[in-house]
Amino acid sequence: MKCMSTPLVKVVDLKKYFPVKGIFFTKGYVKAVDGVNFEIYKGKTLGLVGESGCGKTTVGKLVLRLLKPTSGKALFEGKDIFKLRGKELKEFRKKAQMVFQDPYSSLNPRMTIFDTIYEPIKIYKIKVSDPEKFVVELLYRVGLNESHLYRYPHEFSGGQRQRIAIARILALNPEFIVLDEPTSALDVSVQAQILNLLKDLQKKMDLTYLFISHDLGVVRYMSDYIAVMYLGQIVEYGPAEEVFEKPLHPYTKALFSAIPIPDPEITRKREKLRVPGEPPSPINPPSGCRFHPRCPFRQEICNREEPEFIEYEKGHYVKCHLYSRK
Amino acid sequence: MSEIYEKKLLDKFSDALIEGFAKFLDKVRPGWYKKNKARVDEWKLMAYALNRSPPGLIGLALVIVFIVLAIVGPYIAPFNYDTPLTAFDRDAYLAPPGTVITIPNTTAAKFLGVRSGNYTLLLGSDDYGRDLFSRILYGARTSLIVAIMVMLVGPWIGILIGLVAGYYGGKIDEILMRFTDIFLAFPGLILAIAFSAVLPPRIQYFLNANPAVRQFFLSLFSLKVQHAGSMAYLVSVIIALWIVWWPGYARLVRGLVLSARENLYVEAARALGVPTRWILLRHITPNIIGPILVYLTLDFGGVILTEAGLSFLGVGAVPPIADWGRIINDGSQYFPNSWWLVFYPGLMILLTVLGFNLIGDTLRDILDPKTRRSIEFKLKKKKQKGEKNEV
Amino acid sequence: MKSEHLPIIEVKDLYVNFYTYAGVVKAIDGVSFTIYRGETYCLVGETGCGKSVTAKSLTKLIRPPGRIEKGQVLYYREPGKEPIDLLGLSEEELRRIRGAEISYIFQDPSASLDPLYNIGYQISETMYDHGLISSIKEGFLKAVDILKSVLMPDPETRVKNYPHELSGGMKQRAVIGISLSNNPRLVIADEPTTALDATVQDQIMDLLKKLKKEKNLTVLLITHNMGLVADMCDRVAVMYAGRIVEEADIYELFKNPLHPYTKALLKAVPNPVKKIDKLESIPGTVPNLIYPPPGCRFHPRCQYAMEKCKSERPPEIWVSSTHRVSCWLYS
Repeated sequence: MKCMSTPLVKVVDLKKYFPVKGIFFTKGYVKAVDGVNFEIYKGKTLGLVGESGCGKTTVGKLVLRLLKPTSGKALFEGKDIFKLRGKELKEFRKKAQMVFQDPYSSLNPRMTIFDTIYEPIKIYKIKVSDPEKFVVELLYRVGLNESHLYRYPHEFSGGQRQRIAIARILALNPEFIVLDEPTSALDVSVQAQILNLLKDLQKKMDLTYLFISHDLGVVRYMSDYIAVMYLGQIVEYGPAEEVFEKPLHPYTKALFSAIPIPDPEITRKREKLRVPGEPPSPINPPSGCRFHPRCPFRQEICNREEPEFIEYEKGHYVKCHLYSRK
Repeated sequence: MSEIYEKKLLDKFSDALIEGFAKFLDKVRPGWYKKNKARVDEWKLMAYALNRSPPGLIGLALVIVFIVLAIVGPYIAPFNYDTPLTAFDRDAYLAPPGTVITIPNTTAAKFLGVRSGNYTLLLGSDDYGRDLFSRILYGARTSLIVAIMVMLVGPWIGILIGLVAGYYGGKIDEILMRFTDIFLAFPGLILAIAFSAVLPPRIQYFLNANPAVRQFFLSLFSLKVQHAGSMAYLVSVIIALWIVWWPGYARLVRGLVLSARENLYVEAARALGVPTRWILLRHITPNIIGPILVYLTLDFGGVILTEAGLSFLGVGAVPPIADWGRIINDGSQYFPNSWWLVFYPGLMILLTVLGFNLIGDTLRDILDPKTRRSIEFKLKKKKQKGEKNEV
Repeated sequence: MKSEHLPIIEVKDLYVNFYTYAGVVKAIDGVSFTIYRGETYCLVGETGCGKSVTAKSLTKLIRPPGRIEKGQVLYYREPGKEPIDLLGLSEEELRRIRGAEISYIFQDPSASLDPLYNIGYQISETMYDHGLISSIKEGFLKAVDILKSVLMPDPETRVKNYPHELSGGMKQRAVIGISLSNNPRLVIADEPTTALDATVQDQIMDLLKKLKKEKNLTVLLITHNMGLVADMCDRVAVMYAGRIVEEADIYELFKNPLHPYTKALLKAVPNPVKKIDKLESIPGTVPNLIYPPPGCRFHPRCQYAMEKCKSERPPEIWVSSTHRVSCWLYS
């Protein structure tokens, strides 16, 4: 692979347990994120894929320090974000931003577009000589124009609102953006607009993305690297092309073959890896490998020992007993 | 379709009013109008919504009449609230509405500030021969001032507590809400009775020690100096109502904040690094102000009703202060023969409280963005049709 | 297999309006199509294109403020015999058909199940209502068989479970079980897997395919997911803004899309098995159906739009016996 110096974002053994409260005592923990490792290089996109409840959104919030981890580290430009204080923390908050899933509720209905986009500038006390011109320029960058300046969110469609949400964080000149299913509330025809916009911006501004989605097509389109999550753990991680062409982990294979392909010739003829059942509750995850109850290739060792996260091929990691270190 | 709205005369009037206000703001802060055009349009739509709601208009009319009466009442009343007309004309004793009395040109009349001549007692008089019409006008002032005094303090304590409890949650929420529960368990009536037994002498002492404050309150209530003692009872009612009036707001606001802070835009603001105080002020408060405003309006009537009720039970206003509840209480012993003593003040209470309730309900509709959207769509449709016709 | 050209449902010129606070939404504007016995027919389109409304109109499930303004839904109860117009039937007659002969599977399985009754009771209830069994008790035994047929794991215990004790996938299996319990002739599946995860969606779709084969069902599938369409359907109709813009055999549609909207839509869907450098997006957004664009409803977003498109509604053009398109480009 390419020789890169240090990754912009590096996550080391990150864990987040949410307590489940009983009447008197904590009954147990939802192990939403349980030992996650990955790296994202500057200017690249990591696609984080998984089914609902696998903890992918929690990972997104953790790397922005919107949640406190139970343990583990998340490094941004080499520094642990959970140890940042004062000025450094403020600087991090500015550089790392998030786009949310639902553009219908992520904009304050009582604020004009100008106020919404200009708010971060006010918060960070950035000096702007002409606020109006500044905001209009941002609007142009996301494909809107000055006629939208003093209107309220309810006058805009879902796609336009997502553009506004993007303009808002661009105001701060961020380096790293967590995109939490940014297009899943949008229609296909509009989705493509937003995805292309995000790609353009990435190229122009050298942005780094963590792209969270359950839609494999979208993830493939957007990502340079892929991490597949199952029940709070990353089971496979590697360059996007490699993971899509040669998936290793049985869950990855099952997930890929479960996605219907928009082409009848291909989708009806391909071979599928079918897995029974549904993801179990993250409160009491299965012992050993978490996928073993559903895994068609399960061995005796799988329910005893948790597999290691190994580099099977260069840059391609997998957490499965089927693969041993080469 | 029949549902197309044309701009009515009333709409043009409200438009002009709002435009004028907006122009004024633009003068004070140049550039305001351009930035807030959308907001001004919303205001206009709110006005259209009100213009199309007969209950709302009736309520508005009733409330305006009440407020005007309360302000100018004491100046237009033919007699003072405690002028005993029986001293001049025996007919003034429990006179039915429409009775004509004659006031002779005597020194007593001059002393009481009554001009001689014939007077028609529009709404009759009571057992002291006091003109009911005048007393009702003075009573409007009493009600308005008590309601304003209560609403200026009580709800805001609750709103503040609710905001803090709702946003911070956890232990702070727990402590504040249990504190609220304690106050919620206070029976308002008993508290008011206890206060009227204990507080008035102290209030009177305080008022006497501070003549400026006393004068201020006297002129607010439009009372004579010698009735400062009776006024102390009204003040004690106000204080009692402060204490029982806020917990409802604390609960309401806390609930509103709890649901508002779950909104994604609050989380989005937090992700941007927006400080807590700013989130409360800019993101949460504006989005919950609507229901609070509705509640405040409805409650204005509520305070008037409660105060009248307390006075009726003999806890609030004491003679000779003109107060609707008190007038009903005093007149009830002559009911049904002298029905007017109960009927007219009762009608006034009814109309006033009804007015506030109607406005409150209409406000709920107006502040609901859906209503505004519907009116906006209908107006747009009208415009489109109009354009087509021109073509 | 498919009994060729024996229709089961024929929708003719359907118009549905919604009278909302904002104005009259012309949700369905002259939709016609035919579903043949034994096939899987698919209505595909984006949010608000009217696909669900169409499905609900078939048995007059439209509630106020919605109203069916015009049209016919001819239901051929027996092949080759005289059809009945479902829109002309009374609510009582429709109720006998709904659930028994035409049944629905909706998107959210939790909304279709009553949280107060266990699964067995809910399955038995529909059968009892339509007179297939004489007592609820008998139904419980049948319910176990039905749950077995929808591949519910451990059906003997599940039959006594309440909806909240089941996972999303199991609930949808139960719903499918209920809707198939009366041996319907037509199953209308309205986004049956949208609320489910990918692996579970795949299981449910496999189940539907299996049941369809076993029971020789006719399925009307409503979805926004082009992948599902490709996977499941025999024939497909693409809807846009309340109209069918194109209808074709499944292979034909994907190989040779004609309508500019269909073409653009197929290019806008990211394909998980192909590396795509640039997705093609459709400019603009779906129109507000209170003020739909005149002429062809797609013309404001269409790169081939002509003068004619802005004023006149394009006619239905049959380019082959299985392929029709509503577009002025092909007239």
